[in-house]
Amino acid sequence: MKKISTLVIMLSGAVLLAMPVAAQEGEWDTAGFVENATYYRDGPGISKSRNTGQFEFSKDFGRKFGLSDFRVSGTLRGTYDATYDLNEGEFGDDAGGPRSFQNFGSSNAQLIYGGDGSSPWGQSILGAGAGPGFGFDLASNPNDGLKVLGEDFHSPQGGVTIGVPVRPCDEDGRGCGLDDYLDYDKNDLRFPEFNKYLDWIRELYLEGSIPTGDMSELFLRVGKQQVVWGRTDLFRVLDIINPVDYSRHNIYDELEDIRIPQWIATAEYRWGATDTFEDLNLQLVWNFDEFRPNSLGQGGTPYSILDAGSFFRAMNNCWENGCTVSNFVPAQALIDAGAPLPDAGDPGLVAADFGPGVIGIRQVDLPDWELDNTQGGIKLEGVYNSVGFSLNYYHFFQQLPVLRGGIEAMNPFTGEVGVWDRLIAFDIAFPEVDLFGGSLDFYVDPIKTVFRVEATYTQGEEFVNTLDDKLYSDSDMFRWVLGMDRNTFIPFLNKTRAFLISGQIFGEHMLDHELEKAPLGDVGIPNWEDNYTFTLLVKGWYKSDTISPQIITAWDYEAEAGTFAPSVDWLISDNWRLIFGANIKFGDDMGDQQFDDCRSCNPFPGFTGPPTQTGSLGLGGIEPLGRFRSGPLGSASQEDEIQLTLRYRF
Amino acid sequence: MLKKTMMSFALAAAMGAGLAGAATLEDVERSFYPYRDGAPTAPGLEVGITIDSANVARFREVLDPAIFDQVSKGWVEIVVGETTSFDLHPNYVEATRKGLGQVVLGDELGQIDGFVAGRPFPEEPSADDPRAGEKLAWNYKYGYNWGDNAAIYPFYWRYRDLESGKIERTLKFNFHFLNYKHRVNQEPIPEFPDNPSDLFRAIYVQVLEPFDVKNTQLLIHRASDDLKRDNTWLYLGFQRRVRRLSSGQITDSFLGADIMIEDFEGYNGRISDMNWSYQGTKNILLPFYNHNDMQLATDLEEKDGYQFVDFGGKGGCFPNITWQLRKVYVLEADPIDDNHPISRRVHYVDAQTFTLPRTLIYDRKGDLWKSWIIGQAHPDHHLPKNKGTGVAIDDAFSMLDVQASHCTTGQFKGQVDPSLNPVKLFTVQNMRATGR
Repeated sequence: MKKISTLVIMLSGAVLLAMPVAAQEGEWDTAGFVENATYYRDGPGISKSRNTGQFEFSKDFGRKFGLSDFRVSGTLRGTYDATYDLNEGEFGDDAGGPRSFQNFGSSNAQLIYGGDGSSPWGQSILGAGAGPGFGFDLASNPNDGLKVLGEDFHSPQGGVTIGVPVRPCDEDGRGCGLDDYLDYDKNDLRFPEFNKYLDWIRELYLEGSIPTGDMSELFLRVGKQQVVWGRTDLFRVLDIINPVDYSRHNIYDELEDIRIPQWIATAEYRWGATDTFEDLNLQLVWNFDEFRPNSLGQGGTPYSILDAGSFFRAMNNCWENGCTVSNFVPAQALIDAGAPLPDAGDPGLVAADFGPGVIGIRQVDLPDWELDNTQGGIKLEGVYNSVGFSLNYYHFFQQLPVLRGGIEAMNPFTGEVGVWDRLIAFDIAFPEVDLFGGSLDFYVDPIKTVFRVEATYTQGEEFVNTLDDKLYSDSDMFRWVLGMDRNTFIPFLNKTRAFLISGQIFGEHMLDHELEKAPLGDVGIPNWEDNYTFTLLVKGWYKSDTISPQIITAWDYEAEAGTFAPSVDWLISDNWRLIFGANIKFGDDMGDQQFDDCRSCNPFPGFTGPPTQTGSLGLGGIEPLGRFRSGPLGSASQEDEIQLTLRYRF
Repeated sequence: MLKKTMMSFALAAAMGAGLAGAATLEDVERSFYPYRDGAPTAPGLEVGITIDSANVARFREVLDPAIFDQVSKGWVEIVVGETTSFDLHPNYVEATRKGLGQVVLGDELGQIDGFVAGRPFPEEPSADDPRAGEKLAWNYKYGYNWGDNAAIYPFYWRYRDLESGKIERTLKFNFHFLNYKHRVNQEPIPEFPDNPSDLFRAIYVQVLEPFDVKNTQLLIHRASDDLKRDNTWLYLGFQRRVRRLSSGQITDSFLGADIMIEDFEGYNGRISDMNWSYQGTKNILLPFYNHNDMQLATDLEEKDGYQFVDFGGKGGCFPNITWQLRKVYVLEADPIDDNHPISRRVHYVDAQTFTLPRTLIYDRKGDLWKSWIIGQAHPDHHLPKNKGTGVAIDDAFSMLDVQASHCTTGQFKGQVDPSLNPVKLFTVQNMRATGR
């Protein structure tokens, strides 16, 4: 990759030096913009103050290197997000603080700690002295710069929570031990494109074609680029070639702006019209870049989809430095084990301080760059009888992480190191996945509606599964989307311009879903076996399309959570553009979703449960797995925002 | 009795379908060379005079009602030029001759039989023919509008406020046109061999500026079977996706302009989408001129020195060109779809070229909504490459929304150049490749 990076720098430098300022036909075509996007979130205040400069260029060189229409294109983007300076108390160096952890219903905790009975970080009833794996060093892992996992979304409600370090990693390195994964310093957060991947070069590619007939040609493109498959908006079904940066603005930014460009080569044979097809082409895609997963946003940042980044950071800190987990143990179990607690009839739960190497996330296994780890696929696409279609296959690494248990960890009671079934100690992995899919689009004239359909079947994806000894399993997945677009006049709103009404239904079916009833609740895979998400866009235009109001709504059927995002886009002139919008969540939030949290998984039989118990009893809470049931809408339920974006184009 | 009834039916069908009074070679000559025996005249109308609000009442008969109103209000002045012959390409005329007597309308609106190339119905329309309007519509559809192919390369659109003259937006496009069938001049003739969907024509549009719509592309595939709906796709640069368009988008504002896709070239839809009626023949002033003789704009000059038509008048909504007194067929088109945003179009069809230089568009209530000018430039007085092409060059347009006091103007660099319009340009996949 270093060689590629060096080549990129040289090439981009040469390109820029060769570029005249004026854009004329046959010369460099250049464009760009500068933009400020400032979002204000109910509660924390400023959640985004992103200043972006973007510059695009391309040039047709005509016939070169045996290619006709040889073209060089690129997009450079640099961002400074001032949020981390303007709102340090929420997202910067002063974020978080000391935290206490719930001891739900514990009379002893009430007696010991007073107040609501919560115990400070690192000072739990079950702590140092209870065994070699309990307790941790508060000097290196202090009670500061913390939040309680999920505190922005819900109260613990008797479930487990963990302390999350929330300051940038240069200010507080706890939970930043996953190499090259969610380990951002403040400058990484403030200037996200300026990293070792040279993300400030969003795109830089060469392309050209080799004519093979009047209608046919072989088209080649190589370089850093986005390759877009599929026909859907907002949620991705076939559009999986480039990973996505959700840390920029969750799922709400245009995919164009949040796909993470990769070094990719595509070869496309275009037959054009044939005897049978109105258009036909075959595309080979080879992503020879180093694997990069979706960027989820790390703990302490404004946009962390599913709040997964917080969970991962908390768990990595647990592994490396130890951590306090609320409501982890029944107080009675400690009393039965001889703990000297003042009230022998305590019915509650008490927090536990785990030492390093017991529970948590140990490391991330990102696939190294090697030929065998490159990704690729094939697409046959065309138009037949006025119906657009594609057939797709892609082999890739899962872009969302999976937690794999079954790693070596310490028995906190004995100090023995081994592999313990159902212990919440993980490595993060990205398994290989095969995707088979297809898409259609067609127009139904009697109802003046365009339909879009995508469907995929994947093999190899992995998910949390508390029924499995390693706490994960794989499942084949079937996903589909049906989209409908119709332009409709709404005369009382606009007599001369139609509104675009676009609805989509996303479906997901987990073929190897496992869920069982246990004495204390459900155990298995927290994801829904079947789920549906609905989206609706209504967009209008006024004043020669210079004013465009729109409403986007989305509803997660099983999570019973939705979002409502009205906005008005005002093109003040050809150069200036102002967008004012809001993003309001409604319905259930993460606090309404609970699942087996593995407190009753009994990883150390005889210590954490009866020697004969070989599975979870299903004791559950909101954390950590409620997020998988709450989905990206419900897990962002407290992120209501108003948003203002001002852009100057040149 | 039965036999008599059937004969009557057959006769009626034949008359309705156009065989009655079948065209002759003389009709072809009259159709393509209407000014061979002299230009039309009107009392007091002299070459070089300017019609303005002071004298417009004298020329009411040679102005369409919208232009008359606009001149009366002092929005625009009409400079009268010499009526000149816009001879279409000889191959197109010859194809018309070859097709004489072979072309008939089908039973249904939108059906035509026996057509190969050229002008399908070169005979004079008859007020007694209930399908005369439909035949005129076919003559337009299969006209030599842009020849077998052409490009507007580039094409500037400006959105203007009629009252203040403020230019609100400037869009820069490339437009490309290609006929798959009924070709007369450039190989392959008469049609492309690989044409599985039996396309008649395709239009490909690419937006170059400004940034917010850059890389937007439009592709229209028009089937040879007029009863078949167009396939239309839009590529949105910011989404990097090709989206199929519904017909609702065809009859809606295109990119915020005062123009809908259906307005392109005067009318860009199916014969079968409208009821057509012939309203008579007139001599009126139409925007026909020699581009190179005009006072041209200086703000958008091309590298090759080409200059675009300039605009003036109220709000800058009117092309600074001269107008010719020409023979027109008045053709009314009423949408069949009750939900269509307009109630009717009145086209003033240039009888020689069958272009649509003037169209008046009425809203659903029946009030005048838009006034559509498409200036036609003689190909021999335009770019050197257009000389001898026999194409009346669409050269400047103005779509004036008289209700909203707003207009969209267009400045063309029309190029009849096959190299700009390879067939592979007109594919869905090309949109993806051209986009980023």
